Amino acid sequence: MSEQVLHVTRVFEAPRELVFTCMTEPEHLTHFWGPIGVTAPLDQITVDPRPGGAFRTVMVNESDGSTYPTSARYLEVSAPERLSWIEDHSGMTVTATFTDLGDDRTQVDIRQTNVPPQMLDPRAQAGFLTSLDRFAAYLARLSRAER
Amino acid sequence: MSAPVLDRLDATFAALADPTRRAIVARLAAGDATVNELAQPFDLSLPGISKHLKVLERSGLITRSRQAQFRPCHLERAALDAAVDWIEANRRTWSERFDKLDNHLRALQAPTTGDTDV
Repeated sequence: MSEQVLHVTRVFEAPRELVFTCMTEPEHLTHFWGPIGVTAPLDQITVDPRPGGAFRTVMVNESDGSTYPTSARYLEVSAPERLSWIEDHSGMTVTATFTDLGDDRTQVDIRQTNVPPQMLDPRAQAGFLTSLDRFAAYLARLSRAER
Repeated sequence: MSAPVLDRLDATFAALADPTRRAIVARLAAGDATVNELAQPFDLSLPGISKHLKVLERSGLITRSRQAQFRPCHLERAALDAAVDWIEANRRTWSERFDKLDNHLRALQAPTTGDTDV
């Protein structure tokens, strides 16, 4: 059973090649890979951007020093349009799509599924509009309203 | 996150991958219901609805009373909340990452002043 679990999108004021480069070079990833309060030390990032290549990071919590290593393998590296990797521990697949909007603006769409996208039935892909993350947001609102 | 937790989330996501089962969960969020009550709005046979309920039950999203005659279905909030929390935590991670990436891209493209710290 396959389903999109999460879709996040953002538009950046930068050319597509540069945005793609930032997502695939440790020197750039170290600046943004850790969320707020978390760093991603440069010497612990491994990027081998080809199908089957390793994508490893260690995120370090700034307040207590706890570490969170992640290990993934690239499934697709198509500069500068698309990048996908599968996480070793969860089997979760992350696909990043880079769309050139013109005027040096780039849209990045992150989609997470619990199976590799190549294995998804096209009809299942068409059904993404009713995807789980929207349902989750809907239920979260429902839950909050009730509590 | 530990493997059992991820396995459980996987089962939850798989159970929620079907639109009928999502509708059942949404209905149960409003309160317990019997199989007959659940079958009505979906135009499904009782065996059809029972199949969906079994998937939901195996995933831990719903439970059914063993005692009561009509065995009403009950939504297990904790299982649903775990899935919702996981999704929201991941969304937040990407959102914060993108905030930082936005700053990084601005710094990279800023006119050189000779003392960039990029």
